[in-house]
This record gives sequence, structure tokens and C-alpha cells, in this order.
Amino acid sequence: MGLGFTVGVIGVLILGHAAYSTIQYRSLLKITEEEFSGPPMEVVLELLVGLLFCMWAALTVPGKFLSVHPHSDENRVVSLPENVDFMIFNHRGRAFSSEVGLKLKH
Amino acid sequence: MVTKTEESQLNKLENQVDNGGGGAWEYLCLARKLKVRRSDKVLKYGLSILNDSRKRSSLGPDEWTLYEQVAVAAMDCHALDVAKDCISALQKKFPESKRVGRLEAMLLEAKGSWEDAEAAYSSLLEDNPFDQVIHKRRVAIAKAQGNISAAIEWLNKYLEIFMADHDAWRELAEIYVSLQMYKQAAFCYEELILSQPTVPLYHLAYADVLYTLGGLENLQTAKKYYSSTIDLSGGKNNRALFGICLVSCANKPNSGSLHLGKKSHCTHVFKKNSQNTHVMKKIPNLRMFGPSPRLTKAVIESPR
Repeated sequence: MGLGFTVGVIGVLILGHAAYSTIQYRSLLKITEEEFSGPPMEVVLELLVGLLFCMWAALTVPGKFLSVHPHSDENRVVSLPENVDFMIFNHRGRAFSSEVGLKLKH
Repeated sequence: MVTKTEESQLNKLENQVDNGGGGAWEYLCLARKLKVRRSDKVLKYGLSILNDSRKRSSLGPDEWTLYEQVAVAAMDCHALDVAKDCISALQKKFPESKRVGRLEAMLLEAKGSWEDAEAAYSSLLEDNPFDQVIHKRRVAIAKAQGNISAAIEWLNKYLEIFMADHDAWRELAEIYVSLQMYKQAAFCYEELILSQPTVPLYHLAYADVLYTLGGLENLQTAKKYYSSTIDLSGGKNNRALFGICLVSCANKPNSGSLHLGKKSHCTHVFKKNSQNTHVMKKIPNLRMFGPSPRLTKAVIESPR
């Protein structure tokens, strides 16, 4: 959790730094009166690195992903719950006394 | 709905507690959450926690839920004095509570005094006429007395008011099946499938009822629902696979090649799924559904 968070913060900072570099590059081009076609190669590389860091942090920080498959073991319904509201008590299990001496002691 | 991982977790915890390792409280919580009916174990381990005052005080406010769970389990195991003690402990803590009143009426039911239980439920209903659980307990009383037609009547009246209650539809379907009124049971299962279409067990039960009804159209529909069960459960439901085999045999007893491919595949997957070769040997009994020995021989010689 801590590592993912730090990596995320670093990624955001890298992206911010790339934005600042692009703005500076543009103002430099304005001084030399050239066309602004796109940010320089280093800034593009920095953007990619920032993207990777942020994506990694976004996937690891929130926690464990749940399974989506309907027939994976976590989602496959094996048996329905007993109908507790309709439970009746005069079944044949009455005749089996499970353990003698079971009582609530206070 | 009990999933596979939850079921294996429950069994593991049960083994652990049975063999003396700890974990009784987790087992009880899981049993309560999954609504399984393991009353003897719940009673034994619940009492072991409740009788130990140190463990009891470490539970905090969950202690009262445990009292309720142990009371119901005691009634199921017919240990009525334990149930009475638990309910009186709950009553001391929550004197004017409806939940405790319901438990007392259930205790009267378990003792067998049906009229007193009816009177108790009616008086509880006067205060709160839309309490679903009390309506359902009235159905349970009728069922326990053996008066199935009264149970059906009460349940139908309940379902007219509370149409979205899946448990009640399921209960009605099971009652109709026990009375062999399969058309009505099919209607109930249709309601269940409409409201919860992704639960494969309802599809399976509906297919079973249709197969029992018989007739060409019903068998075709049953085959479709067995297939949808296999689809939803990823091929891991043995009963649906077996159902497809039976329906194919019952449908066209004299055809050889047409249904052979599907049947042999089904038996192959069936064998892969279950290690139980006894069942595979019983497949020759399919002969009773179709007079062709060539078909059954081909089924037995399906790819290994």
C-alpha cells in the first residue's frame, strides 16, 4: 500500500514536470519565433514513464480484484441456503439426542 | 447462495473445530452468514463459548446474536431447556423486543403446542401486520401439523402481498413437488428464474420438473434448461450433464448417430468431473428409456 502510493505520487510529479518542461520549451520557441510542433523527445519519454508509474499505482493501491467469471470457484453457486424462515422442528432428528448434559450454565 | 470457496472454507473450519483446533467463533459466524443447517455442531460449539464467561465477554455485543443462533439450534436438536434458558437470557436483556417474542413463539412451536404458538403469532401480528417472518412462521406451523393444503393457502396469500420473496416461491415450489402438482411447481420455478436468472440451481430444478412432467415439448424445454445450467456453472454440475444424457435418450430412443455426439461428449465430461465410476457403470440402465441396445453400447464406449 505504501509503496504503491509513493510510486503514484512520483508518477504524478513526473507528469507535472513534463508539463512544466513543455511550457518552458514553448516559451523558448516563442523567443526564437519557431513553430511549436510538439514537445521534445525527452519530454515524450518522461510522459511515458509517468504514465506507467501512475497506471501501476492505480492498479495496486485499491486492493484485490474480485473474480468476474460466473463459473470460477468464488462465484459458482454450489447449494442454496436453507429456508430458515420455514424451518420446522418436528422432524425425525428429535429422536436422536445428540449429547447428554448440554446446558447453559448460568 | 453458497459458493464453492465458501463451502470448502466451511468444511475446513468444521474439521478444524471438530479436531480440537480453535476457530469456533469463525465457524459460527460463517454458518450464520451462509444459512446452513448444522444445528448439532452449532449447539455444541455455541454452548462451549457461552458457558465460558471469559470467551463470552470477549464477544461484546455479538453475544446476543449468538444466544439467538444457539436458541434456534437447540430447538432444532430438541434440547428445549437449553433453548428456554437462552431465550430467558435474551428476554432479561431486551424485555420488549419483537425478535425475542418471535423466538418465544418458535419455542412453543417446537414444544408442539400449536394453538399457543398461533395465538402468540396473531398477537405479534396485531402490533405489526406486515412482519414477513411471522407470516412465514404461520405457514411453517401449518406444514408441521401436516396440513399441507392450509400451508399452500397461507403461502399463496403471503405471496400475493410480498411477491418478491424468493424463499417463499422456492418453498411453494418444493411443497407442490412433494404433492406431485408439477405444473404449479413449474410456474413457481419460472418466477424464480425470472427474478434471479443467473443462479444455475433454479434452472436445474425447473428442468427436473419439466423432465418429470414428460411429453415432447417439455422434454425439449428441459434439455434447454439443462444446457443453460451447464453454461452457467461452467460444466461443473454433474446433475445437469446427466440430465442431458437422460433427456436425449428419452427423446429419440431409436436414433443412433444424431444424438451420439452430444451424449458421448456429455458422458466424457461427466466422467472427467466425477471420479465416481459407479455412476458411469449405471448408465446401461438408460435402456429403460429407449429400447435400442446399440445406443446404450455406444454410450458406454464413449471416449475415455
